[in-house]
Amino acid sequence: MVTATTQRSMATSTLFAIKVPPSQDLGTNRTLIEIENLDFSYGPKQALYDINLKLEEKRVTAFIGPSGCGKTTLLRCLNRMNDLIDGTVIGRGSIRINGVDIHGRGVDSIELRKRVGMVFQKSNPFPKSIYENVIYGLRIQGENDKTRLDAIVEKSLRGAALWDEVKDRLHESGLGLSGGQQQRLCIARAIAVEPEVILMDEPCSALDPVATAKIEELIQELRSHFTIVIVTHNMQQAARCSDRTAFFYLGKLIEYADTRTIFMKPANSQTEAYVSGRFG
Amino acid sequence: MPPESTPPATFRIGKARTRFFGLTLDETIKAFFGGNALMAVVVLALITFFLFREGFDFFTQNQHSIRVYREAGLEFVDYIRQQEQDHTALTRYLSDVRLRTLQHFTGHEGLTLAEANSRLEGFDAFAGRYGEAVDPLRGLVSELTEVATEIKTKYQIIEDMKEKRRQLLAEGKTAEADAVIVARVDFKTELGPLIATLPAYKETSDQFATTLRETLALAPALPTPELQKRMERFRELNSDYLVGFPVVLRQLEEWDYTKPVPAWHAFTGFIFGRQWLTASFWQDWYGVVPLFVGSLMVSAIALMLAVPLGVGAAIYISQIASAREQRLVKPAIEFISAIPSVVLGFFGIAVLGQILRTLSQFDSLRWVPGFPFAERLNALTAGCLLALIAVPTIFTLAEDAINNVPRSFLEASLALGASRLQTILRIIIPASLSGIVSAVLLGLGRVIGETMVVLLCAGNRIEIPDFTQGLVAVVQPVHTMTGIIAQEMGEVVRGSIHYRALFMVGILLFLIALLLNFLAQKIVRKYRISIG
Repeated sequence: MVTATTQRSMATSTLFAIKVPPSQDLGTNRTLIEIENLDFSYGPKQALYDINLKLEEKRVTAFIGPSGCGKTTLLRCLNRMNDLIDGTVIGRGSIRINGVDIHGRGVDSIELRKRVGMVFQKSNPFPKSIYENVIYGLRIQGENDKTRLDAIVEKSLRGAALWDEVKDRLHESGLGLSGGQQQRLCIARAIAVEPEVILMDEPCSALDPVATAKIEELIQELRSHFTIVIVTHNMQQAARCSDRTAFFYLGKLIEYADTRTIFMKPANSQTEAYVSGRFG
Repeated sequence: MPPESTPPATFRIGKARTRFFGLTLDETIKAFFGGNALMAVVVLALITFFLFREGFDFFTQNQHSIRVYREAGLEFVDYIRQQEQDHTALTRYLSDVRLRTLQHFTGHEGLTLAEANSRLEGFDAFAGRYGEAVDPLRGLVSELTEVATEIKTKYQIIEDMKEKRRQLLAEGKTAEADAVIVARVDFKTELGPLIATLPAYKETSDQFATTLRETLALAPALPTPELQKRMERFRELNSDYLVGFPVVLRQLEEWDYTKPVPAWHAFTGFIFGRQWLTASFWQDWYGVVPLFVGSLMVSAIALMLAVPLGVGAAIYISQIASAREQRLVKPAIEFISAIPSVVLGFFGIAVLGQILRTLSQFDSLRWVPGFPFAERLNALTAGCLLALIAVPTIFTLAEDAINNVPRSFLEASLALGASRLQTILRIIIPASLSGIVSAVLLGLGRVIGETMVVLLCAGNRIEIPDFTQGLVAVVQPVHTMTGIIAQEMGEVVRGSIHYRALFMVGILLFLIALLLNFLAQKIVRKYRISIG
């Protein structure tokens, strides 16, 4: 029975042309983020049920699942962006980053967010110049040394593969860039403060294929420096650029494994049905 | 040959419509709403038209009034009167010095009032002599005033006759009209006695100058260096004053009643005139400056209070407050705008004015400039109440502007580790600044046009506040452009120069409001696009 499922899965994988990265032994990195028995609700409505997940350092982890499955909610738990919404409750469980409970006493959500950056679904550069956009995170920390800021702007924009395109117009408005450039500017802004983790909430959903390809390439490069968690609806994207994949359904973590395993040999039939495109 | 396709027998998509006067129901409704919209435009155009039509005659009338002022010799007399009044101002300075010296005696040296007064006997003799020096000149002025008034009265009687004749002619009563004798004023002859006083003036003035010089030499020494310094200053002021004497003489010698009054005098006299003086036996002046300054000062005070309050509340409500606080505060602020302004004005007189005054009389608050208040109703009282009127406008519009800032900016900023305050200061306010500025401008428009509150609470003294003493100016009573219209419009004769002058003030207000609205719209339009 298991064999039959696997075979069918591989067949569908070929049919939908999901290219899975060549097999490589990933090994196991140190665990950076540890989610334990997490329950989360928006007021009376529970969104996450008993999530247990260990995310490794300097890996790209993809969260996939149909709309409303809680993947974005979980992502926003990691930097406590959900605090902004009235009535959100962590019912049970904990999230530890580097061993520190992020909801623990003495943890400041502002300090947390400096360590856990975020890139949003819709690019949202500030109505300021490109330069000011990149250094915003440093400015609010009180950094005013011009030479240091210049260096960081260049480094971050290079890191976000945007430097060559904008180096001559750093002081023009960030809103004048194209959609893909704006998203890379947002990534540059996020990496300028040198966080440990970067959360990406469907970063390519509003972009065309060329811009998407650039961002995916960028994710590959960023992986050597940052731990990346990416929420995506696009399964090809998850397959192409993530090391590990977690599949969520109706607020529960269904399956979490190497991306290759999830797409080629999912253990759970729901996962298999989803990655093969039969629902979701 | 293909078979001919026949259209279906019944494909009815038409419908008979009922018509009223040839219009269908839809068209009637459209005409109704269109008519309403058009009405607004027509009314605005009519208001503008009548405002300008009534107001613009002011300039011809004012020019005429200034010409009569010259021809009847009033201008001539006023040159001398100015000289006399400058002396009165100096006398006031001297009494101020006396008061300070008295305070020094009673306060620092611990003398009784009687002792202190007796110590000041020398000073009083000096001051008395100084004050009396002007008497001959004053006598001359009052004589001349009578002469000039007489000429003006004569002229006015003739004008009245002319008017009567015109009316009779209009009614077709020619015979009766001919019976009305219209004489002409021969200004040259009439002014003869006036100009003939010139040698007498010269003598009086010289005598006056000599007396002043002699008196000043006798100025008594005062007990402290500070007071002595004031006395020195008094001497300086006097020497400046004396230098002006030949200038007055020259003005009088060169004075010519036939010199024409240019048309722009009527305009500058209104816009830059520092006196608003009506129903005077001597000469009426319609200078808008005291009213304009009053309006501006009251509005500035109001904005200084209302901008931090309104914008601060808007930021709090839209960025920080919980849903419950929003439900409580928003309607409360918006309700303020529902209070009739006459009720607010009443509150201002009865409560706020009294509270501020009581507050100003506390000894511990003596250091605040302007405390204690000389007048209960003043620009500050009116400004505080006007702030209440401006707050809802500024709050509502600023809150809209802040809410229009995309939420994604807020999230992006917070995700980068910014605090709420940093986000507000660095992202939210800059992004909504254009909206906030236009909210403030519209608040200013609201405040400048407000009438009832200022009429009740501003004190209504038509005088330019004395800014030389700094902040004290804000507790002086003022009159405003809106207040003067409301107060005087009911009493003026229709078509008179006073009536037209009030219309001119109205036009000025109208233009200011127009400008503010225009700016507010322009700012919003220019910057809204950049936020996207």
